[in-house]
Amino acid sequence: MRHVLDDLTAYLDGALPPDRRAELEGHLAGCGVCRAERDRLAAGLAALATAPAPPAASPGFEARFHARLAQERARPRTLRQRLGGLRWPVLAPLAGAAALAVAGGIFVRHRAEQAEMARHLGLLENYELVASLGGLADPEDVSVVTQLHELEKEKP
Amino acid sequence: MAPDPDAALLLAFQGGDHAAFRVLFEKYGRAMVAFCHRFVRDSARAEELAQDVFLKLHASAGAYRPTARFKTYLYRIATNHCLNELRRGEYAAARARERDPEGDDLERLPGDGATPEQHAAAAALGRAVERLLASLPDKQRAAFVLCRFEGLSYEEIAEALGTSVSAVKSLVHRATVAAAEALAPFAPGGTGKEVAP
Repeated sequence: MRHVLDDLTAYLDGALPPDRRAELEGHLAGCGVCRAERDRLAAGLAALATAPAPPAASPGFEARFHARLAQERARPRTLRQRLGGLRWPVLAPLAGAAALAVAGGIFVRHRAEQAEMARHLGLLENYELVASLGGLADPEDVSVVTQLHELEKEKP
Repeated sequence: MAPDPDAALLLAFQGGDHAAFRVLFEKYGRAMVAFCHRFVRDSARAEELAQDVFLKLHASAGAYRPTARFKTYLYRIATNHCLNELRRGEYAAARARERDPEGDDLERLPGDGATPEQHAAAAALGRAVERLLASLPDKQRAAFVLCRFEGLSYEEIAEALGTSVSAVKSLVHRATVAAAEALAPFAPGGTGKEVAP
């Protein structure tokens, strides 16, 4: 059986399934290399267990936290925070519906503008005459007038 | 899964019971400072990070589902927060200080009855552990801290780190091999003296 070095930490942590543990112990009984490594790892962990703990939290830690929490709660929540409690199965259909609504809104608005212009085509044709005489100063107006034939197709 | 009283508290908080959240903070708040200190080695910053973790928990409690144990859920938030903190640019200076351990916080040393030699040995071991943690890649460090200091099982660490149990086994093993090397002078029969970094 080949060495069991990679499993030694899990063995020391009691994290191996019983059959693998038994197999590994069988190997250790006859392998000095793996036994020595097991002892080295165990000694390192024993030293670690005696290391001093990090400094304790300072007095007032809890009070400072509750003050921060109160401050956070007083702050208006962002949309992201308000949605934070919702999960994707809820958010995804909502996001899809919102995207469709926006796209639909743009399309309807575009069609409404076209229909409005088509209704006033007669008036705009008068503008064409004015434009041909150089009476339109706004480039946007000039652009509309030059596209009158396109708009005519939209006339109901 | 055995009933998890902490999960029940978080669910109570979801239902509007703010006292339940306070109980969770009182139970885990100070332990969280120690956890964060393993990453940043600065007492004031560790306290701030621990508070951040609980603010995040407070804000995201609605997303918690009791399929995960509370402790695993909490340490997932904490680990991500500490690793993000380490990756921030401002930690370049702190990491430089890791090479000069004299400038660090003193750890909790043996009590008044200890001899000066025992104080010195404990301080040297504390510095060796800090150097060890600082030398580990982020994910190894997180897995090692969760395993050795927080007592999480491999399965819980896998859940906290969002990885597989076999990956955790490998991360913890590599970090433990590094620890055996770094702490050899402090192991039974060792010299008890620091090795120059």
